[in-house]
Amino acid sequence: MSVRKRRALPTVVLRVPSGTEFLAAIRDTTKRVAELAGCDEATAAQVALAVDEAATNVIEHAYAGEADRFVELGFDCPPGELVVEIVDDGRPVDRRSLPSVDLRRYARERRRGGFGVHLMGRIMDRVSFRRRGRCNVCSMVKKLPAAGAQEAR
Amino acid sequence: MVSELSVESHERDGVVLLYPSGFINAHTVRLFEGALQKAIEGGCYRIVVSGAGLRYVASAGLGALMGVIEEVRTNGGDIRIAELNETVSNIFEMLGFNHLYRIFPSEQEAVSSFREASGRKPRASA
Repeated sequence: MSVRKRRALPTVVLRVPSGTEFLAAIRDTTKRVAELAGCDEATAAQVALAVDEAATNVIEHAYAGEADRFVELGFDCPPGELVVEIVDDGRPVDRRSLPSVDLRRYARERRRGGFGVHLMGRIMDRVSFRRRGRCNVCSMVKKLPAAGAQEAR
Repeated sequence: MVSELSVESHERDGVVLLYPSGFINAHTVRLFEGALQKAIEGGCYRIVVSGAGLRYVASAGLGALMGVIEEVRTNGGDIRIAELNETVSNIFEMLGFNHLYRIFPSEQEAVSSFREASGRKPRASA
C-alpha cells in the first residue's frame, strides 16, 4: 500500500456578482477545491452545500437581493483543515450564535427559511461570523482526513 | 444556458407525482415551489416527490416543503418523498426531515402508502 503525501493547495479566491444565478459557480468551485484539499466526494458535496448556504444568506440578507454587489470567497488549506471565508460589504448581519431548529414548530408556522445556518453548523466543524472593517466575514472550517487516507483507499 | 432544475408532474391513483431533476437552491426553488403550489391549488393533497433525478437540495428546497406541509396535512393529505440519492438523503437526515416526512426507497411504495392510509390522517402530522 503506497501512501503519497498530499501537495499543499494554493489559496483560491473567487469573486462573483451577488445574483443567485452564480450560486452554481460557487457550488462547483467549492466542491472541486474541497476534493483537491483531500475531502471525499460526499464530504466535498456537503462542504459545497454549506458554502452555498452562506452565499445565499449574503445575497438575501446582507445585500437584501441586490444583484449588483459582490461576494468574495477565499479557500485556504492550513495543515489538516480547509478554511473558507465568505466576505461581503452589505449591511451588518448579527449572527452571534447558530440557531437551533424546531421542525414541528417551523411547519406549524409555515416557515420557509432559517435552515441554512443550521445546516452550515451541522456540516462544518467550526462556523463563525464577524465584522472586518465595513465587511461581514463568515469563516467556516472543515477538518481534513489525515494525508494519505484518500490515496490509500 | 443550461437549466439547473426541471420539475415534471404526473397524476396516478389520485396522487400527484413531482419529479424534480437537477439542483434546488435559492436560484431554482421558485420552480419547485410552483409545482407544489399547482398541485395544492388543483385540490390534490396527496403528493409524492420522487427524487431520483435530484442531485442536490439546499435549504431553500427544504423550506419549500416546510412552507406547505401544514396546509397539505390539514386537508388530510401528505407529502411523501421517494428515491433520494445518498447525498440528498444525508441532507434530509442532517436537518431531521426524515422524522417529519415519510421517505420511501421507491416511488411505487410511496404511492401505495396513500392507499394503505386511505381514510386515515397521516401519523407523522406536524
